[in-house]
Amino acid sequence: MIENVTHKQEEKKDTQGKLNFYLKMVYKDKTGFAGMIIVLIFFGWSFIQGMLEIFSGMFSDPHLGSILLPHNPFNFNYHISMQGPSSTYLLGTNAEGEDILSRLLYAVPRDAFIAVLVVASAILIGAVLGITAGYMGKMTDEIIMRVTDAFLAVPALILVIAISVVLNATYTGAIIGLMVVWWPIYTRFFRGQTLKIKNLDFVQASKINNVSKIRFFFRYLFLNDTDPIIAYAALDFGNVILTYSTLAFLGIGLTPPIPELGSMAADGVGALPTAWWWAIFPGLAILVIVIGFVLLGDRLQDIISNRINY
Amino acid sequence: MQSKTVLFIVRRGINALITVVILIVFLFSLIHIIAPSPAAMARIYAGSPHVPPAELLTIEKTYGLNKPIYEQMIIYMVAIFHGNLGVDPTYKVPEISLIAKFLPRTLELVIPAIILSVAIGIFTGALAASKRRKPTDHVVKGVYLATWASPPFLVAAMLQLFIGYDLGLLPAVHMVNPLLNTPQNYTSFPILNSIIARDWPYFISLIHHMILPVIALSLISFGIVTRLTRSSMLDIMETDYFRLSIMKGVPRKKAIYSVALRNASIPLITLIALLFAYSVAGAVIIEDIFDYHGMGWFIVHAIYTLDYIAILDTTIIVGLSVIAANLIADILYGVLDPRVRLE
Repeated sequence: MIENVTHKQEEKKDTQGKLNFYLKMVYKDKTGFAGMIIVLIFFGWSFIQGMLEIFSGMFSDPHLGSILLPHNPFNFNYHISMQGPSSTYLLGTNAEGEDILSRLLYAVPRDAFIAVLVVASAILIGAVLGITAGYMGKMTDEIIMRVTDAFLAVPALILVIAISVVLNATYTGAIIGLMVVWWPIYTRFFRGQTLKIKNLDFVQASKINNVSKIRFFFRYLFLNDTDPIIAYAALDFGNVILTYSTLAFLGIGLTPPIPELGSMAADGVGALPTAWWWAIFPGLAILVIVIGFVLLGDRLQDIISNRINY
Repeated sequence: MQSKTVLFIVRRGINALITVVILIVFLFSLIHIIAPSPAAMARIYAGSPHVPPAELLTIEKTYGLNKPIYEQMIIYMVAIFHGNLGVDPTYKVPEISLIAKFLPRTLELVIPAIILSVAIGIFTGALAASKRRKPTDHVVKGVYLATWASPPFLVAAMLQLFIGYDLGLLPAVHMVNPLLNTPQNYTSFPILNSIIARDWPYFISLIHHMILPVIALSLISFGIVTRLTRSSMLDIMETDYFRLSIMKGVPRKKAIYSVALRNASIPLITLIALLFAYSVAGAVIIEDIFDYHGMGWFIVHAIYTLDYIAILDTTIIVGLSVIAANLIADILYGVLDPRVRLE
């Protein structure tokens, strides 16, 4: 019993130490730090605005959703249709006279939600399949990896399009499509890591000590696999946002009055030479968000593969 | 040695075949999950929910939709390997003829784009590796990270806006000047047709319209080449033989560009398949924005009309071509670098 308690404390200390180490290393590098700031602002804003949107739906009070925004994102006003950037409308207005900045800010929480959901599900499925494949080996390994290869063979975007269109191109369809397509790369990662550590002494020792199966799976295999996966996952949030915005650009996964970054750009492309702000600013917004994840992920990758000091 | 190479190629070939079969089984089950009954499947093949029952029955008969599901799966797979992908519900012609029309046009974009992005990638990667940890290195890294992070429609829209509309240097939309007469169809590649017909105005117009989409495609995909070139060149610059060549008195520049770059370019072969996949996926958006009537445009229109058959068939064709590209890259790599074969 006492042994167990100390074990748990050690675990906690261990993960905290790791986190502190990563934060310190990210903090040391200017670009990595900038990436982290962008990511924090993105998630912070998404959380606040997302909560407000949920509450405004719950209390059926449309004002609550736009309380923090400069203008009401759903306010049609044809007097100010297609106005360029100005001090009142910082990023201009679209054909219906809706403020583009407000619409951008209103659309962001969905991207954060989808990114978290898809990456988390991919890590979960990837961990289960990858660790199983790596640990069991032989026929199980062969079957899982062939299926993984089949999913990796088609470009992710094309397969997501196929799945979500077959599911009638709805919002749920887009999310399911992304979730179905996103796991294979994590399966490969987890399998590779498991193969690396499964013959190490501490894994063998845990078997002798009769550690329970769930604990063995989670504590010994999953947690020890995660290092390179954290860095990749940070990058991958950006990939999910890019792919989702591309889907929205093609008109998949829209729930009309609610704006999407990709579909705003798609609407704006038609008005391109004159109302350039309509297509370019949503695109730039995606670029900034994704660059945050890319910088952070890149820095984390450097830290984990010990390439910091070169 | 010879038999080992053959064994390697055969093993990779079998793996590729298994991958194809699993992919087809997945797509087959996908469509059968949303349309579990023969009548629902027949409606999908007819392309509209409002079809007279008599027509549904004939469709059920022609596609064998009343047979048990495993039998249907085998029929479907055999049909695909015979090049029979069904009749498109929107255009009412065999799907394979549509793909044969649109795929070559996309290849005309994708192949120059791959060549361009490999060229840009090797150049910038070598530059970054030789100027490691200096401002040039950071600038190169900043540029490729930015192109990685930018959505394809932003790149395309920017090019269209600045080069197409503001400067007016190149046409911003369409495949070719619509006022010109199309030359006769000798092949399915418009460029080859215009060359065979010696229709030079048409040829020049085609090239003019190609430039912006090709640049857009290579901009979104060159970063991965830069990254791999840089890291594999840095690896080689640590090796003994590279140091030896410096010690022997080979000038540093020559050592970097001939010794290191040549050895670093072998792993790049594996990237070509990946680049192909990237570019085909990017072409979906870029062809839509530039109104270039290729495979991507076809896919986008299939999305608008919810044409399931066209979507699934294009997915199969894209999957097949990417698997084939992967196989070729694997074999080439194995032939060029014998160490890979041992795995």
